[in-house]
Amino acid sequence: MKSVIEVASLRKTFKGRDGSSRAVLKDLDLQVGAGEFLCILGPSGCGKSTLLNVLAGLDKVYEGRASVSGGRVGYLFQEPRLLPWMTAEGNLDFALDSCKVEPSRRGELKSRYLAMTGLSEYRDYYPHQISGGMAQRLALVRALCVEPGILLMDEPFSGLDEITARRIRSDLLTIWEETRKTIVFVTHNAYEACFLADRILVMLGGAFRQEIRVPIARPRSYDDPAVFELSRNVIKAFGDEIDREPVPSAIAASEPGLVDDLDRHAAARMNL
Amino acid sequence: MLKLISMVAAVIVWGLLSLTLPPEIFPGPIETARTLWGEVASGQVWTDLAMTMLRVVGGLVIALILGVPVGVLMGLSRRAEGVLDVWVMIGLTVPSLCYAIMAFMWFGLNEGAAIIAIAVTAAPSITINIWEGVKNVDTKLVAMARVFEASRPAIVRRVLMPQIFPYVMASARFGLGIIWKITVLVELIGRPNGVGFKLFYWYQLADMRQVLAWTLLFTIIMLMIELLILKPIERRIFAWRPQVAV
Repeated sequence: MKSVIEVASLRKTFKGRDGSSRAVLKDLDLQVGAGEFLCILGPSGCGKSTLLNVLAGLDKVYEGRASVSGGRVGYLFQEPRLLPWMTAEGNLDFALDSCKVEPSRRGELKSRYLAMTGLSEYRDYYPHQISGGMAQRLALVRALCVEPGILLMDEPFSGLDEITARRIRSDLLTIWEETRKTIVFVTHNAYEACFLADRILVMLGGAFRQEIRVPIARPRSYDDPAVFELSRNVIKAFGDEIDREPVPSAIAASEPGLVDDLDRHAAARMNL
Repeated sequence: MLKLISMVAAVIVWGLLSLTLPPEIFPGPIETARTLWGEVASGQVWTDLAMTMLRVVGGLVIALILGVPVGVLMGLSRRAEGVLDVWVMIGLTVPSLCYAIMAFMWFGLNEGAAIIAIAVTAAPSITINIWEGVKNVDTKLVAMARVFEASRPAIVRRVLMPQIFPYVMASARFGLGIIWKITVLVELIGRPNGVGFKLFYWYQLADMRQVLAWTLLFTIIMLMIELLILKPIERRIFAWRPQVAV
């Protein structure tokens, strides 16, 4: 399988105000194949969002090598990040304009992904007029309709209620199975990772600790006991790691917004 | 509706209070309105009103040209903020009368000096408003736009400006309120026409009917600008905003 993301000896350090520095990414090596669905699983503050920012090109200050090929990058944030003064369609047009997608293809792309996510009726609605789940689905449409080769997702469903999140996860898998885009999906939810991914990388303290290949056949069902079984094992292994590796309690003050809140008890969140 | 009732009530209270003093010193609403009508009918008011409006609009435009870029700069750059905040405070503290005197002494008793004095007085307040607004810009939306490869001009135009615009609108409104007051003062000390000049003129003749008539005229014009121009603009531009229910 051809690699579309190649990361070698990636290091990133945040400097605190007092001059102390803290390594957020420690010599990461990563290869993601074309069409692969990779989940990076770890507690808040383990560096997974920082890694995603580097891959998206939002963060350009790092050591080592990080290259992304295979087309444009689409990004789904934890929050929808829609422009509130534009309608649903206006938000899609903003992305299409910015990415310079050919005008002749736009109508078809919008209709296709709006239909896939059940938002066809809501083109003229403003973000505040639709629910949080719909807003996040619209953000997914926005990420998809610029025809990215690679989709980066930063805990995109963690702010949603469980029932809504479940539905969107299933939608995402359906779309992925149709389009086979490369996806790097960051999450702290082990069940979500086991349901979605081909491969899971467990990340702790800025390094990958474990690689898990998910052997469950597709199409997957959300209530498959195999998913449950696997996630239980992951949580078990993961929880042990947390105990051995105390998470630093100070957050790098100089770069707010790039690091998640550090949470010593993040392991608790792994429970469903 | 409540607005209307409160206004009617205020006029009634004014009428009742005016009974406590002789009409030359405290005329009631009916008498004031009659005097105002006399002035309007004689055609005298239009020159004075037009001159005042010219100064107000000119002052506001220049105040925005001065105040908005400085506010944006201070909101975006911590260094600029560190250097400029004390100057904004100084600018805000100097009384408008001082600016007016300085402008007339240095640039002469002319229209330009009047407008400069008005603009310089109002600019610091506008700067403070914009500065606060820019600090509130949602950088997460900027990061989103960068991920979608938006160009720098596109980010400024389509992501930053719409966020800053409400603050520009608010400071224009706020600035207008200040500028009316300064304009009257500036006219009083250095111009041969305008509402402020008229107020001072009638004050010197101790004609309270005229003073109140001009005050009333001024207030009505002000309200009309607010209700007929600013409110509708705001409603159109910010149609996307959710209604706040408290």
